[in-house]
Amino acid sequence: MNREHGWEGPLEHAGEAAELAAGHAPPDNARAREAHWVSDHDTETRDIRPALGARGGPGPWNAAEPGAPVALARPDFGDARWSYLYKARDTDYAGAQPDADLVAEANRRMRDAPVSDVRGPFIHAPVWSGMVATYFWLGGMASGSAFVSLACDAAGDHRSAAIARKVAVAVVSPAPALLIADLGRPERFLNMTRIFKPRSPMNTGAWCLVAFSASGALAVGCDEIGRPKAARGLGALTALFGSYLGSYTGVLLACTAVPVWSGSRTILGPAFVATATATGAAATRLVLVASGLPHGHPTRKALGTIETTAMLTELSISALGERRLGDAARALRGDRPGLYFRSAKSLVSLGLSLRLLARRTGGREHELASVAYLAAGLLFRFAWVSAGEPSARDDAVVAAMARERGGPQAGRRPWQARALSSRRPPWPLPDVIRRTYGEAIRRTSLAIERRLSAVSRDVQERHEELVRQGEGADGAGPGHGQVEVAG
Amino acid sequence: MSTSAPQTEIAIHRVAGGPSQRMGFFTDTSVCIGCKACEVACKQWNDLPADGSQTGKGVSYDHTGDLSASTWRHVRFVELLEPSPQLREEAERALINGAGGHLPSIPAAGAIDVTEGTHKLGDWVFMSDVCRHCTNAGCLDACPTGALIRTEHQTVVLQADVCNGCGYCVPACPFGVVDRDPIDGRAGKCTLCYDRLEDGLEPACAKSCPTDSIQFGPHDELVEIASRRVAELHSRGIDGAYLYGAGDGPEEQLAGGLGAFFLLTEPPERYGLPAHADSPVQENVVPATLAAVAAGLLAGAGTVLAFAVAARRGRGGRGGGSW
Repeated sequence: MNREHGWEGPLEHAGEAAELAAGHAPPDNARAREAHWVSDHDTETRDIRPALGARGGPGPWNAAEPGAPVALARPDFGDARWSYLYKARDTDYAGAQPDADLVAEANRRMRDAPVSDVRGPFIHAPVWSGMVATYFWLGGMASGSAFVSLACDAAGDHRSAAIARKVAVAVVSPAPALLIADLGRPERFLNMTRIFKPRSPMNTGAWCLVAFSASGALAVGCDEIGRPKAARGLGALTALFGSYLGSYTGVLLACTAVPVWSGSRTILGPAFVATATATGAAATRLVLVASGLPHGHPTRKALGTIETTAMLTELSISALGERRLGDAARALRGDRPGLYFRSAKSLVSLGLSLRLLARRTGGREHELASVAYLAAGLLFRFAWVSAGEPSARDDAVVAAMARERGGPQAGRRPWQARALSSRRPPWPLPDVIRRTYGEAIRRTSLAIERRLSAVSRDVQERHEELVRQGEGADGAGPGHGQVEVAG
Repeated sequence: MSTSAPQTEIAIHRVAGGPSQRMGFFTDTSVCIGCKACEVACKQWNDLPADGSQTGKGVSYDHTGDLSASTWRHVRFVELLEPSPQLREEAERALINGAGGHLPSIPAAGAIDVTEGTHKLGDWVFMSDVCRHCTNAGCLDACPTGALIRTEHQTVVLQADVCNGCGYCVPACPFGVVDRDPIDGRAGKCTLCYDRLEDGLEPACAKSCPTDSIQFGPHDELVEIASRRVAELHSRGIDGAYLYGAGDGPEEQLAGGLGAFFLLTEPPERYGLPAHADSPVQENVVPATLAAVAAGLLAGAGTVLAFAVAARRGRGGRGGGSW
C-alpha cells in the first residue's frame, strides 16, 4: 500500500490489516461491493479497511452476559427523554407555550408559499428492467387471446377457440420466469404468494397470474382429453381472469409516486387493455392463419377488425393521456421512451397502411400488419415502463404535482378515505391457517435460497481449488492469477 | 460452525395486545450543524456498508447525495443561493470595514461591488433525512410479500428475511426513502432501530446527535416539544419555522401524519420534500382499478361483438373480402 501521502497520517500507525479469522471470510456481498468500488477508486492511496473487525465480518464485541438487560437502558426510554436542550429551565429551546393554531397556520403558509427553488432528489426512480415490460406485453397478449377464445366460442367457431386457448397458455408460460428474473432475490419468488393482499396490485396480479395460468392450462387439458364443454367453461373463466391480467399492470404503475404514471391513473389501465386486446388478436390470428384457417373466414376478418380498432383506441387514449399529463408528459417524449413511442406509432401506421394495401392486393399484407401490431404493443409497454425513470428524476414535475394534489380539499369522497396502512388481516381465514401458510412459504423460500447459495459456493470453492492446484503444479506463487504456459 | 458473518435476518411478529405507543423522531433542522454523526452511527449500528463515497458531485458539499438501501440517515445539505438577511448584513458590514470578516472567499472592500458580492454568498441549512414511518405508508401498501409491516411501536419495518426484492416499494414511496440494493438485491430502509427499541434503547442516530437535533420519544410528546419550539422560534422573529409532517389540520396531513417529522425554516421543495404527499397506492388504487377492470370487461365484450358482426356479415354473403 502506498503510504507516501502525509495527509493520511493516522493510517501510518494503523498496523497491518487484521488477519481474517478462519470462518470469517467476507460474504460474497462484501466481495462484490469491494470489487465495485475498487473499479471506481484508487485503492493504492485509499485504505478501505473497516475501523472495527474484519472486512464483511461482524464487529468484535460481545455481550458480557448473554441475555442480560442492556446497561444503559432505562425504563420507558428514559435515556432518550433526557435532554439539556429541551428542558425549558436550562435553555430557551422550547420555552414558549404550544399553540396548535399557530403551528397549523405556519405549516400551511410555508407549504403553500411560492416555490422559488426546487432541489431534488425527491423520489427514487423505479428499478425494474425491460423484463417487466416484456412481461406486461406477454401477459396482455395472453389475456387478449383469452378474449378471442371466448368470442370464438360465442360465435360458434370452436376449432379456433381451442387454438386461441393454446395460444394464451403458450404466451403466458414464460411470464413467471421473466418476473422471477427481475426480482432482487429470485430464489424467494414464492413469497409473492405468501399472503393475499387486495391493496397491493402486485400481489393481486401475482395471484391473478397463477389463476389465469391454472385455468388456461386446465382448459387446454380439457380440449386435449375431449371435454369441449368443460374447456369452454374454463376458457370463459380464463377470459374473466384475463380482464384483470391485461389491465392490472396499468394499475400497478399508477399506484406509485412517479408523476407520469400516477398522473395517468385512469389512462394506463384502459391503454394497456387496448394493446393487450390488439396483440392477443394479432398473435391468435397469425397462429390461426398458420394452422390453415381458410381465406375469407369470418374469424380472420373479426380478428383483423379487433386488432385495428384496439390499436386505434390505444393511440387515442395515449394522446388523451398525454394531453392531461401536462408537463409530466415530458418523460414520455424524452430520450428512450420517446423513441419507443414514436416507433410504436409508426408501426401502427404501417400496420394500418398494410391493411389498406391488402384490400387491393388480397395478399399477405394482413399477416405483416399483425406482426407490426405485435411489435408496436411491445414498444408501447417499453415506452410506458421506461418513462418512469426520467419522470421520477424530473424534480420540477414531482414538486409541481405534489402541490396540485394538495389543493383545497373540500372533504374526501368515501372511496378516497385513507387508513392506517397497518398489518391488517389479509385473508378471510382463521389466524392460525394464515400464519402457518405464510410461515411455510417464508421458510420454503429461505430453504431454496440457502440451497442455491450453498451450491454456488461449492462451485466457487471447487473452482478456486482447481486454480490453486494449477498454480502449484506450475510453480507460480500465490496471488499470480495468470499462469504462463510454456510452448 | 458458520462459514461467514451470521445472517442478520430478523422476523418480527407483532405481539397481539402488546404496547402500542407510537414512537418517532423529531428532527429539528434549526439546531442541526451538519456533522453527519447520525449517518455514521446509523451505518455502524445497523452494519450497513459504505456506498463508495464520491467526492465532487459538482453541486454540493454533501457527498452522500441521497437516502438509499444502505444509507438510512442522510444529512441533506441545502446550500441556499440567497443569503439570509442577517448574513447579508454581516457580510456587507465586513466588506465595508475591509476586514473580510469570517467569509474568507471575499476579497477586501473596494475590489468588488458590495451588492454583487453579497448576492453570491451562500448560507447553509442542514436536514437530517430519514424514513418518515408514515401513517399511510406507500411502501407498506405496495409490498406484495408482506415483508413491510407495522410494528408495535407504530413504525414501518422491512423484514429482510421475507423481502424478495420485487422493487415495488421503491417508486411507491412518495418521499424517496426506500431503495433496492443493487448488490444485495433486497430493499432497505430505516427500522427506527427496532432492535434497540426492543432493548429499551433510543435509536443510534438520536443517541449520537450532539445538538439534539434528532429527538426520539413517544410521538405525542415530540409533537408537543416541536410545537413549543415553533412558537419559540416565531417569538424570536423566525417566522419561517414550521413543522413538516405534524401539527396539521386533519385535511392537510402528510401521508396521514408522519412518525418522523421535521422542523424546517424554508419551503419544503428546497429540501427535496413534496409539499403534499400521501400513500400513492391509497390515492390511486380504486380509480385506477375501476378504470382498468371496466376497460378489460369492455374489451372482452367488444371482442365478442366484433365476432358476432363478422359472423352476420359472413352469412349475409358478403364474404371475407381480402381476409
